Amino acid sequence: MARTVDIIKKQRHATGAAKEKLKEYNRMKKAISTALKEGPMTIPQIADKIGEPPDKVLYYLMTMYKFNMVEVDSIDDMDEYYLYRLKQQKNKK
Amino acid sequence: MKMREPKKHYDVLVVGGGIAGQETALNLANLGYKVALVEKDYSIGGKMILLSKVFPTLDCAACITTPKVSETARHPNIDVFTYSEVEGIYKQEKGFRFTLRQKPRYVTEDCTGCQLCEQVCPVVVEDEYQYGLVGRKAIFIPHSIANPRIAAIDIEHCTFCGLCENVCPPKCIDFTQQERVDQVYATAVVLATGYKLFDPTIIRRYGYGKYKNVVTAMQMERQLVPTRPFNNILRPGDGKVPDNIAYVLCTGSRDVTVGNPICSQVCCMYSTKQAQLLMGALPMADVTLYYINIRAFGKGFCEFYQQARAMGVGYVKGKVGRIWEKGNGNLVLRYEDIETGEVAEAEHDLVVLSIGILPNKDYQKLFKNVKVDQDPYSYVKQIDELTSPARTSVDGVFVAGTASGPMDIPDTILSAGAASSETASYLCKVYKEIQPSLS
Repeated sequence: MARTVDIIKKQRHATGAAKEKLKEYNRMKKAISTALKEGPMTIPQIADKIGEPPDKVLYYLMTMYKFNMVEVDSIDDMDEYYLYRLKQQKNKK
Repeated sequence: MKMREPKKHYDVLVVGGGIAGQETALNLANLGYKVALVEKDYSIGGKMILLSKVFPTLDCAACITTPKVSETARHPNIDVFTYSEVEGIYKQEKGFRFTLRQKPRYVTEDCTGCQLCEQVCPVVVEDEYQYGLVGRKAIFIPHSIANPRIAAIDIEHCTFCGLCENVCPPKCIDFTQQERVDQVYATAVVLATGYKLFDPTIIRRYGYGKYKNVVTAMQMERQLVPTRPFNNILRPGDGKVPDNIAYVLCTGSRDVTVGNPICSQVCCMYSTKQAQLLMGALPMADVTLYYINIRAFGKGFCEFYQQARAMGVGYVKGKVGRIWEKGNGNLVLRYEDIETGEVAEAEHDLVVLSIGILPNKDYQKLFKNVKVDQDPYSYVKQIDELTSPARTSVDGVFVAGTASGPMDIPDTILSAGAASSETASYLCKVYKEIQPSLS
């Protein structure tokens, strides 16, 4: 059966905003995942590592958490910052 | 896919599917009247469905509201139209004619809410139901207890990759869905259009939007619900678990400089509620409320306030003048201590702005040949507040809930009860005039 998306694609194209959001999420997801491959990290540590503001890292990391790509590892000694890890890391252990 | 076909005529049109609209619709439907309930959002439930707990009982808001939401959605006498709008209401000799515009969500009612589409969608957009704290996909279920639990496509942010359509088990993605417009009649109209939240970016000296660790009370409310955006309560600037939280009361209320001179009636108590919940969730945290006056006027409110004080919540009688950020993300509040008359400063690691309630002026554009009068604050005017609180300046048009002014949840339900009984009484009168035999 033909997909309805193929019909709409003939009538309209993705907006610039949509393309921008797609690109930004992919870029941040890749950067955060690469950083977390080295081991569990806090949000400020990831931000330092990838050179992005911590609030932006939190936004995308929590989006990844929501979609089951990331999980909580532990909390630091001062009970201030959680450490996060990639979901696959746990499975590999 | 065809959208829901409305009836040609309803006894009542209820505009707004929040708790006031639902309560009015349910009361009238239980009396046998046919009701069209029109909600502009993807889900009914209004703002209450997004709250954590209610004051002063600390009952779970979702547990109270979801049974009503389900009852409304399944009632045989209520036709619910979500993601729909009412336009161009014309008053006629007996009743009203209006345009019902159902907008496409590009997902049919066969959606099971499995969320497989969300998993594969590659676009992330700010989640409006989490007040921007986290992202959602371009195809999304509005929130975990949305009703109807049907996904919707944010077409402006869709890249038309088709992945959602590929994975959808019941094949309910339909990009060919079109808007549906109908002319419908109703004998009476109930305005339950609710309120809007104050936008704190207007008060620039508080730094909302600029300082990431200044949040609104609604953002904190979302952090306190079980389906919170983060894994715990965190400050949005860097993910730190906050341990010294400040609330700034009367943000956008009782403030002529922002055009809202009246009290929002709920901020003192929702801030007190959140402070108690925070002390439960973060036992080591200090919570301080900066207030002008505490208005604990309802049943059990004063005891609730005293309970918060006994738990250790700090109350400082002081008007906050300015907030600025330090290098570590902490915030300094400069305030006038009203008790001592001195200007003081205090440092906190998270600031919550207790934003007020504003009128939703959308009702002013609904009517074409009549005008629903507004009160001095732009809420729907109750022309006979003491003896007939739901009546408006237009015969046959009634008002329910916060469309007529700020009020809390129990008062909203009371107001909706008044609106439904006055509407029922009006319908009886009109139908007897049309068909005297009915009497």
